[in-house]
Amino acid sequence: MTISAEIQAKAAEWLTSGDVACVVGYERGTHGRTRPAFIYQGEDVARLIFDKTCTHNLTTYLPQLFNDGSLMKATHKLAPDASIAIITKPCDIRAINVLIGENQVSRERLKVIGVVCEGILDGAGKRAFVECEPIYTYQRRCRSCSERVPLVYDFLIGESVSPELVQEEENLRGIQDLTTSERAKYWLAQFDRCIRCYACRQVCPLCNCPACLYERDDSLWVGMGFGVDEKRTFHLGRAFHLAGRCVGCDECERVCPMGLPISLLNRRLAQEIETMFGYRPGIKPAFSPLTSILQQEQGIP
Amino acid sequence: MVEPMIVAFLCTWCSYTGADIAGISRLKYPANLRAIRVPCSGRVSPELIMRTFDQGADGVLVLGCHIGECHYDTGNHRTAKRIPVLQTLLSFVGLERERLRLDWVSASEGERFARIVNEFTEVVRELGPCHWRRFDQTRSMAVDNTLAFGAKR
Repeated sequence: MTISAEIQAKAAEWLTSGDVACVVGYERGTHGRTRPAFIYQGEDVARLIFDKTCTHNLTTYLPQLFNDGSLMKATHKLAPDASIAIITKPCDIRAINVLIGENQVSRERLKVIGVVCEGILDGAGKRAFVECEPIYTYQRRCRSCSERVPLVYDFLIGESVSPELVQEEENLRGIQDLTTSERAKYWLAQFDRCIRCYACRQVCPLCNCPACLYERDDSLWVGMGFGVDEKRTFHLGRAFHLAGRCVGCDECERVCPMGLPISLLNRRLAQEIETMFGYRPGIKPAFSPLTSILQQEQGIP
Repeated sequence: MVEPMIVAFLCTWCSYTGADIAGISRLKYPANLRAIRVPCSGRVSPELIMRTFDQGADGVLVLGCHIGECHYDTGNHRTAKRIPVLQTLLSFVGLERERLRLDWVSASEGERFARIVNEFTEVVRELGPCHWRRFDQTRSMAVDNTLAFGAKR
């Protein structure tokens, strides 16, 4: 049985038995691309697919589905105790762990179909992949990913794979090797391109504040303006809010219409959190160590 | 030579009183310091610090109570965790990490307050004027992709 068929069978089973009210998964969209799908009836499961172009991190939808149901059409309003099933890759599972740790998602009401992942193709979500095209490359996050089997799941699909790992930190080191003023110049050129569309924030599973600090017109020390300083504060502040929480799914960088290297900021902070606190987000449901009090062994300036 | 401008966020329970003690004891410390009184060093969010640099500060000093002496129990624990991470982030995007300093001054340590301000002012003076603000004034920069370091796109 193919992965898609297994997903369809399990989704149909859960939907018809009434275990879950909604299955969040992937379907084939226009021009052969994949897109997120919400399935409410057992007869619709044939739409569900999974392949190497399913790049979206579907956990983005979970806080909205659970907390205010704002994604629901009127015909599909969920009962307050209804369960939701979600199809996830190993990287998305880490985001679920963070969300559970922060009480945004209840584990009891969530059914996870975990898929063993060999990697997602570069350019997925932007264009179609046809057989005649020569060679595809995996996305950067997939080339250096060491977790191919989901950490948490109710139903696992696929067998473990052990692909070759490529340790790729050249971009990060390339920037760290520069002098301070060269770094400032590089980053200002990047932030200057930002159009403040907030796509990075919308797509992020962990950017789930009901009101965003950076989109308020009454805040006193952050602006909504277009000055490069305000755009810089937005990106740095967002990276800081994700410190110790970002699971490195790189969706922010994928959706950025201006191609800002946002994931570099997140990766640098993830590196720092790992050296400071020995903590990797999403391995187990927990709060970020940045929000807790000091332990005795930790250094104090 | 332009004098550096230093903004200090002082916790009202310890460091602000410590600054008072320094004044009462007639200790000398540089006049570059602009003190801002905050209820707790945990109040100083990263956005406040970035805004301070945006507005033209050459250095930002955050002073709070010693660990274990916070009026709100654990406010300074949070500062102690946040500031080093913020320093890393700022230095990654091109601001020297020495321009931001966190330290602890209790209500009776006027001498320590004066020493820290003296040290910090010397460090910032050594670093020279901050380019963080200067770049901003050329608001729309030409897109410079020559510095892309093999980064994609």
